Amino acid sequence: MSSDRRASPSDVVRPRNVGAPIKRTEDPRLLTGNGEYTADRKPDRPLHLAFLRSGQPHARIVRIDAAAARQAPGVVAVFTAEDIADDFKPVVPFSRMPNYYATPILPLASGKVRYVGEAVVAVIATSRYLAEDALDLIDVDYEPLGALARAELALADNAPLLHEAAGTNVLIAREFRKGDVTADLAAATVRVAGRFEMTRKAPLAMEPRSYAAEYDKRRDAITLYTSSNIPGIVRDAVSESLGLSGHCMRVVAPDVGGSFGSKGSLYPEELLICIAARKLRRSVKWTADRLEDVSSSSQAFAEIVDAEMGFDANGIATSLQADVIGDVGAYSIYPWTCGLEPVQVVSFLPGPYKIGSYRGAVRGVATCKPPTGPYRGVGRPISTFVAERLMDLGAAALGIDPLEIRRRNLVRAEEFPYRIASGIIWDKAGFIECLDAAAEAAGYDRLRKEQAEARKQGRLFGIGIASYAELTGIGSRIAVAPGMPINTGSETAKITIDSTGAITAAFGVASHGQGLETTLAQIVADDLGARFEDVRVIQGDSDEVPMSTGTYASRSAVLGGGAAKHASKILREKIKRVASHLLEANADDIEVTEGKAVVLGTDRAVSFKQIAKAVYSDMKTLPVEAREELSATYTYDPVNGTTAAATHIAAVEIDPATCFVRILKFVVAEDCGRIINPMIVDGQVHGGVAQGIGAALFEELIYDEDGQLLTASLVDYMIPSAPEVPVMDVVHVESESAVAGGFRGMGEGGTIGAPAAIANAIADALSPLGIGVSILPMTPERIFRLMEQAQIKRKADE
Amino acid sequence: MKPAQFEYVSPSTIDAAIAALVASNGEGKVLAGGQSLLPLLNFRMARPAVLVDLNGIEGLSYIEDRGDRIAIGALARHRELEHSPLIASKLPVMSAAMRHVAHLAIRNRGTIGGSLSHADPAAELPMLATFYEAEISVQGPSGRRTIAAGNFFVDALTNCLEPEEIVVEVEFPVLKQDGWAFEEVARRFGDFALASIAVSVRRGPASLEAARVAVMGVADTPRRLREAEDELVAMALDDTTPDRFAEIVVSLVAPNDDLHASADYRKHLLAQLARRALRTALAMKG
Ligand SMILES: Cc1cc2nc3c(=O)[nH]c(=O)nc-3n(C[C@H](O)[C@H](O)[C@H](O)COP(=O)(O)OP(=O)(O)OC[C@H]3O[C@@H](n4cnc5c(N)ncnc54)[C@H](O)[C@@H]3O)c2cc1C
Repeated sequence: MSSDRRASPSDVVRPRNVGAPIKRTEDPRLLTGNGEYTADRKPDRPLHLAFLRSGQPHARIVRIDAAAARQAPGVVAVFTAEDIADDFKPVVPFSRMPNYYATPILPLASGKVRYVGEAVVAVIATSRYLAEDALDLIDVDYEPLGALARAELALADNAPLLHEAAGTNVLIAREFRKGDVTADLAAATVRVAGRFEMTRKAPLAMEPRSYAAEYDKRRDAITLYTSSNIPGIVRDAVSESLGLSGHCMRVVAPDVGGSFGSKGSLYPEELLICIAARKLRRSVKWTADRLEDVSSSSQAFAEIVDAEMGFDANGIATSLQADVIGDVGAYSIYPWTCGLEPVQVVSFLPGPYKIGSYRGAVRGVATCKPPTGPYRGVGRPISTFVAERLMDLGAAALGIDPLEIRRRNLVRAEEFPYRIASGIIWDKAGFIECLDAAAEAAGYDRLRKEQAEARKQGRLFGIGIASYAELTGIGSRIAVAPGMPINTGSETAKITIDSTGAITAAFGVASHGQGLETTLAQIVADDLGARFEDVRVIQGDSDEVPMSTGTYASRSAVLGGGAAKHASKILREKIKRVASHLLEANADDIEVTEGKAVVLGTDRAVSFKQIAKAVYSDMKTLPVEAREELSATYTYDPVNGTTAAATHIAAVEIDPATCFVRILKFVVAEDCGRIINPMIVDGQVHGGVAQGIGAALFEELIYDEDGQLLTASLVDYMIPSAPEVPVMDVVHVESESAVAGGFRGMGEGGTIGAPAAIANAIADALSPLGIGVSILPMTPERIFRLMEQAQIKRKADE
Repeated sequence: MKPAQFEYVSPSTIDAAIAALVASNGEGKVLAGGQSLLPLLNFRMARPAVLVDLNGIEGLSYIEDRGDRIAIGALARHRELEHSPLIASKLPVMSAAMRHVAHLAIRNRGTIGGSLSHADPAAELPMLATFYEAEISVQGPSGRRTIAAGNFFVDALTNCLEPEEIVVEVEFPVLKQDGWAFEEVARRFGDFALASIAVSVRRGPASLEAARVAVMGVADTPRRLREAEDELVAMALDDTTPDRFAEIVVSLVAPNDDLHASADYRKHLLAQLARRALRTALAMKG
């Protein structure tokens, strides 16, 4: 699906494995059905859990009658909030952010329900069928308290409060300021403004959330298998909440079938299933069905942004202001808080541009919907959509080409590191290089000519550009969300050569489809001097791997990769020391490569196997003090982290008969630093862009005024399928970052750039009709209505 | 999302299937391809006490040439209709329409009996049955009867069958036509139609001798538009005919707003499709 036209910078010396398009180690098992997902666990006589979920958006729970359910066939237990009140402490998504209210997380709704889909009663039975049968027998009396279906309504003075203790429905409020925006806007030659909206999305991993709490009778201990991408955080949170010490609370994320962020927070069901296993002294399993997954997993985006940008006569953006309302749903999530998504919108809004003054204010408002949480791109698909729309509006107002106006405003190579108006510091990355490479690959000038031709024929042909930058691989100096009681700034690798000579590299960063088993092994192989196929990467098991907060925020290649490099080098030195004894050579004269230690310039060599034998099994060869365990651990902190950037260019045509948008061309030029595996990078870009196309054209969770989800199945919640995803051209602008290995994070970028590029392309296509784009997705229905309105207006004007 | 408990029976004759339905006291449901029924069971929107599986009945899956009619057994799969040379030559509108039915895996299982009985207002086969004036043979405790497609579809997802009746065969008259077209717009390939139209024409010396028009996705049931057919036959043919036809077609429908499309958008689509379909049909060399 992509033509790889990677620029090869001359300063990149390619090691053997890093940089090679090595096929993913995990694929043979995953693609042949031999993966082991949580639902595949077969503990001894497992019980099955089913949840009675609220059908009410906001209501007091008056009474729960579960007597009949308790007597139903196969039912082992029925739990309400009251039944488990003494079995846990609420988990509080604490943060030191001002103007933030942390809603406590409970395993089951207590006192009242706050969204349709919230778990109210848990039934545990010998089969899922019987458990679901028993759900039918439970009666809950609710006293409705009034739905808060939209954030704007929840802001009204007389709106009911979702969390009385907060005293307001505004769970988080923040403002970023630099310079005098009011004065700069007043002085601007051109001011462009709009009210932009990005609707709510479902992250929609292929595997729904799935948990299996396996009870170990001998030790009164629990192993929670969870489809999580933050198993380390889950372990600590459950352990704390249930008062179980770490050695009685093991958490394993086995094969995980995607997350996109939806499995990146602690869930009430994870607490409940562990509580149930402990109370019943039995293993318990639960897998969400698609309906539960869509209606109770964390959701995404959902912001309305009023924004204005000022330009001088040369097209330089001088000023930007924005007021953002984030519809954050009913609860703040652990550990990221409800600030994660909407606050990122204002902190990234100036994007890769040198905008002088800025004011960005955000309010995260509680509504009767599932919480919003991380989703590929977090906040930046919206900030990019808004900033890039404003750039195009400014370009149009000034008569400057959209490509040119970006070139004038992007941070230039000599200006890095650059602090943008919201305070984020971009380290050196190829902003302009990506813009130019994308324009070249897209044949931008030719496309404009094609467009002129098409317009003469009355066709609706449009070209859209989006440039963005993101912070990836964030280190300890910049927290992912401020003031949380977890360490997101470092990662540890532990690499061991065992007594057979086999290499195991243990990482806390978990994998849920990224191919980390492959890429991390590529790094270890190169830096240790091993053969790629000899390195086994293990992840996601709290008994086996170092403590970690997991995989999210495009961090694992940078932090895990950096730790891998350092640990590998330490271990390589150990190997050399042993080899120097065995080969009777100076350690400095020994090179480690391909799983052997070789005396430089000779054919004298020992294999890792021989070295391991000498260290672990042989009592004669080495002196005792030389028998160091062949193991190395390193905790890597990139301190600041690194910037990743890209430019996306889309060409679209709109069929006025159907109002469908066809993507004719899609080009991504991205800088993710040194590429570990180009095939995996391409795959991440393709997948990210596909989700961006979903956000731009298809996906929308629709809640009605009563807080009922109308798009709860995949018939109604539309995602792009293969025919809707075009062939893409991915250009790699490989400029090394300053962190270990020169890597930059790149898992999310596709989703950040694509919606904005497509929105701009649609707006460009419709511009002859005087139509703009201010809401995504641009469904055929919306395009139809805009075209109708434009026609009515045209008639009125005539 | 697990179905409520049901008893499963797998009879090997139609009579045994009907007997099983009778024995279920109105609590039985027939299972064909399962593509529509199983989701309903899993959502517990349908809770039959007995599931009567038709798939073990021999001889219900055929496509038969009866001269001026094509007979199709209730268990014939969508995929078989899609690829049948007989249907391609005798019922070309059906042949063209079948590839719009869902996705390959669903077409492999889904049956004509199931699709007609399910009576989705945006499904192709109910529309084709209406278009061709198919005759639907059903069998129940009191024997066999034939229902005209025009009477079969009562409302969205509602047919006129008695609870113990089973669709056994559908007969499609072969149309005498010189040109035809099938047009459909769905959001993604394989989705249910937002709007669709089928047109068939027979030319006379100056104007059309006969016309056939049916639409779907724009009402609670598929609809044959007789007024449009009559007006089309009465019209003098010229360059404006497709536009005038589109106007007439749209004036005859009153779709509802729903999640997938507003009434106005569906009407807009239908007008486009009507124009395109008539152009194609008129341009076809008979
Ligand atoms: C994702 C998806 C997309 C789809 N898209 C389309 C589409 O674009 N167009 C389209 O036309 N269809 C579509 N379908 C529906 C598909 O065509 C089904 O095959 C069809 O609607 C039902 O046929 P079935 O044989 O599977 O019936 P079943 O699911 O087995 O039964 C459906 C209903 O009919 C009854 N029934 C079945 N057979 C008989 C019989 N012989 N006599 C009496 N009652 C009977 C059953 O009791 C049940 O009530 C889609 C389905 C899915 C899952």
